[in-house]
Parts: sequence; structure tokens; C-alpha cells
Amino acid sequence: MKPRIYLALFIIPLGMIIAAVPQNVTRPYKLTASQMLAVANSSSQFLSPDEVADFLIQKDPNLQLIDVRTPDEFMKFSLPGAINIPLTDLLSDEFKDILDQEIKMNVLYSNGTLQANEAWMITTQLGYKNNYVLQGGLNYWAETIMNPTVPASTNPDEEIAKYDFRKGASMALGGGAESSAPSSSTDTQSAAKPIIKKAGKKKVQGGC
Amino acid sequence: MVKKEQIAKTTKYLNPYLGGVLLGLVLLSAFFVSGRGLGASGAIKSTVITTVDAIASGHAENAKFYKEDAKTHEGSPMKSWLVFEMAGVIVGGFLSGALAGRLKLKVEHSPKITSKRRLAFALAGGVLFGFGSQLGRGCTSGSALTGMAVISMGGFITMACIFGTAFALAYFFRKNWI
Amino acid sequence: MGPLVTYEFISQDTNLLLAFIIGIGFGFVLESSGFSSSRKLAGIFYGYDAVVLKVFFTAAITAMLGLLFFSLFGWIDLELVYVNPTYLYSAIAGGVIMGAGFIMGGYCPGTSFCGASIGKIDAFVFIGGLFLGVLLFAEGYPLWEDFFKAQFMGYPKLSEVLGLSDGIFAFILILMALGMFWVAEWAEKKFPQPEY
Repeated sequence: MKPRIYLALFIIPLGMIIAAVPQNVTRPYKLTASQMLAVANSSSQFLSPDEVADFLIQKDPNLQLIDVRTPDEFMKFSLPGAINIPLTDLLSDEFKDILDQEIKMNVLYSNGTLQANEAWMITTQLGYKNNYVLQGGLNYWAETIMNPTVPASTNPDEEIAKYDFRKGASMALGGGAESSAPSSSTDTQSAAKPIIKKAGKKKVQGGC
Repeated sequence: MVKKEQIAKTTKYLNPYLGGVLLGLVLLSAFFVSGRGLGASGAIKSTVITTVDAIASGHAENAKFYKEDAKTHEGSPMKSWLVFEMAGVIVGGFLSGALAGRLKLKVEHSPKITSKRRLAFALAGGVLFGFGSQLGRGCTSGSALTGMAVISMGGFITMACIFGTAFALAYFFRKNWI
Repeated sequence: MGPLVTYEFISQDTNLLLAFIIGIGFGFVLESSGFSSSRKLAGIFYGYDAVVLKVFFTAAITAMLGLLFFSLFGWIDLELVYVNPTYLYSAIAGGVIMGAGFIMGGYCPGTSFCGASIGKIDAFVFIGGLFLGVLLFAEGYPLWEDFFKAQFMGYPKLSEVLGLSDGIFAFILILMALGMFWVAEWAEKKFPQPEY
């Protein structure tokens, strides 16, 4: 049989398969299930509100707060310096460079812990590093930082110290930003998009 | 008129479809290993830059073209993927020619024209192609072949223009070939 | 997971060594298919020898399918593979000038190296011409720099531009290529030329 016919018979089915298969798995999961389980069990991704407040007060430049709630909720209230990556848009290309990088510390937060943790699970499985979760989310933040409970005078010193810290933090942080930042959430994102130098996976230079 | 039976293909080449599949696999391996496809004109560019730098390095430091290249390319311009690849092409071509007994120093030209004429056109064609490849950011290997494999729009456009123009001008140069 | 060099399975120097080896494969296949002969290369434009069309398009669809399947199996990360940029004006102008160079010289850079490797003097001369052409471009660069950089459209994939998925585009291209092969075989029979 002519080589042409062989080629056609071989390549057309392959072409049909590739046309029928849903587009692409270019972001496969990098961790196996057991690896993921171990990481999740270690709960090492959680940061307490105290820790995050501390970073904020110190104005740590490596901190990047990411709000995974809807844009409406983000506009009503958000933590200082936070950018909005709604959970539904987590995998969109425009946020990939923010989530997948090795320089800044991304702290994901939502109202509780659930949504932020979901975002964390997915990004961690994709192999992205440096993503953390604010334990308790904004609800816990409000309880501890914004309205810290006054400890009884008989409580141990560290409790009182913690309270003082939180009171101070609450004042310093002014209770969070209330869309005094630009009015549309997309503006907030573009203003807050850090110029990240991609350490590690560089796109290959080619040409000619 | 040449009867079809009298045309004896005297040189035995690989079946083109097989050659194509093999070439596609070579291209695929380049992507897999190095994240980039094949290319050729870039090696010429590196050679030009190195030569100019050797002969007139002051000029090379000041002229825009060389400066821009130096910015994207650290280290010696000859230490580039394409230069090493083209060195391999020479070896590979030689091996293939040697195995098939095709090594022969000659000017390949149509019997209807002189070899001088063929060489003149080869030179002119080379100058045009060299210029065009820099403008088009690649030649048939880099822009067209590799570009098609990654479905780059620029690659397809360049390829269409190369082949389209060649077809359009073919009539005017037919004496050189047939 | 590929590309190997980006995921640091191999070092940059190994990358260069492998470039050399890949080049050997490239040159070998090109020469074996007849791309060291300018007469065969120019043949597609007159109908008598469609080797360029057959090899070129077969290679393109093989590699395209290969990439898509590799991506499907998770063997390569397509996001990290270099996609040629699109600068509209210079892509067209460069292509036109190269087309003229092709029909006059009968070679392209890659094939000229093949031809030179087996001793074709016209290939040597072509390479000399390439050198001059690039030099000309480099020296006159300020004159055409703006044109060169005009209309940068990013790195669009033709499949995206047409609104098709990569897989469907590949399939359509395969069908088109096969169609062209059938026409090419007909043309070769219709316009034969003796070899010289």
C-alpha cells in the first residue's frame, strides 16, 4: 500500500482523538494524594490573626493578602493591601503569576476558613508554593483583632500581652480598608499586582 | 518530450512521508528536551555578531542591533542552542551523505544554465533570505516549521508568505530550474 | 515532565550538548530526504517534486500531534514551551523577502547547511549570502527598527484566533495536509522533470 495511505490511516484517528479530547491538562496535579494528605494533616498552612496582624504592622513587604470572596464582599470590606481573587476565578490565567511564585507569602482569607482553605488545597496540589490560610478568616479576625475580649485581670500575663497587642493592632490597622481604594475590584487588582520576578520556572527563550 | 518511463530517479532518497515523520519526531524531542523547536537563521546571526565583534568591537558595542542582542543573551553569542544545533546539522548531513554515497563537491545547476549563473542566484538568494529571516524572526525551520507545530499565528503567517511569494515568483525564475 | 531543561532535569550545558545531538538528527533526516539538493527543494514550485511539501507538513502535523498528546499525558507543560511571537508587519515582509530568496537561491538556511555538508558549492555560496544578508540587516537596523517592532500582537496561537481548540485545529490541519499530499502526487505525475 502506498505510504501516503498508511500515513493517512494512522494519523487521522490520532487527529480525531486529539480533537475530541477536552483541551489539555497543562496544569496537572503535582502532588500525589498521599503527599497532599500529609501536607493537609500537618496544618502548617495556617496563620493566626495575630501573626498576620504582626506582619501588617511591621509592613512586611513579602506579605500578600488575597481575598477569595466575591468582588461585592471584597468591596464592602477587605484587609489592608489585600487583592481579590474570587474562588470561582482561582484558576484563571490572570492570577496564575500571583499564586504560582516563590517570593511573596500569599495569605488567603475568606469569611471563615472554608473557602480560603479550599483555594489553598487546589493551589498546593498544583504545586504552587508559599500559599497560606488565615485561620478563622475574617470572622475570627474580627473577634480577636478588631474586638478583642478584655481578659480578666487574673488571667496570665501573656493573655494580657496578647490583648494589648490586639488592641494596638486594631487601632493601627484601622479595622481594615473599606473600599477607600479604587472603586472597581479589577482596579484594586491591577494596582496591587506585585511585580513578581519569576524565580525558577522561566519560559524558554527561543526563536529563529 | 520526455516519456514518463524514461525518467529514472537515479538518487535513492528516503520516502518523504517517512522523512517527515522522523523530522517531526526530532522536532518533538527538541521541544521535550529544550522547550523550543528547531531553527537555523539564529545561528547565522550569532556568527555575524561574533565576527563583527572580533573585527570591529567598538562598533559592535555601540550599534543598536548588537546591543539589543547582548541584552537578551549573556555570555558568548556562539554558546547558543542554535549554533550547537547547526554544528550537529552539518555532521548529520555529512553522515547521511556519506552513507548514501552522495558526497561530491559540485555546483548543482540546471544543464540549461551555466554554473556561474547558478552561483550568482545562490548568492542573491542568500542575501535576501538572510535579510528576510531577521525581519521575519526566523526562517523556514524556526518560524514556519516550529511555528506550525506550536500553532503560532506568526509562524503560519510567515510560512504562508514564504511559500506564496515563491510560488508567485516561480514563473520568472523558471529558466533556472526547468 | 518536559521541557526537561525548564524543570531542571538537565543543566544548561547538557542542553547545548543535546542541541548538538538533535542537530545531527535534524541534518541526517533532511539530507536523507533530499533536502540537500536545491533542485528538489525548488521542485514544489514547478510541480515536479513535492518533497518539501510532504516532509514539511508531515513533520508539522507529527510534531503538533506529539505535543498535544504529550500534554495530554502530562509529559510536557505546554505553557513553558516557546511560542513564536507575532509581529504582523515584519512577519509578512520577512516572509515575502524570504520567499524571493528561496526561489532564487533554492535553499533555506537549514537545508543550505545540509547541502554544504555534502559538498554542494552553491550551498556554500548561499550561506555566504546569508551572512551578508544578516550583516546588512544588522548594519541598517536603525532604519527598519520601528517596522521590525511594529504591530506586536503577543504570542497568539492561530487556534485561539480562530476560536478553535488546539485539538480540532490540529485535526483540520491534518485533513488539509493530506489533501495537499494528494494534489502534490498528482502534480508530480503531471509535470515530471528529469533529475540532473
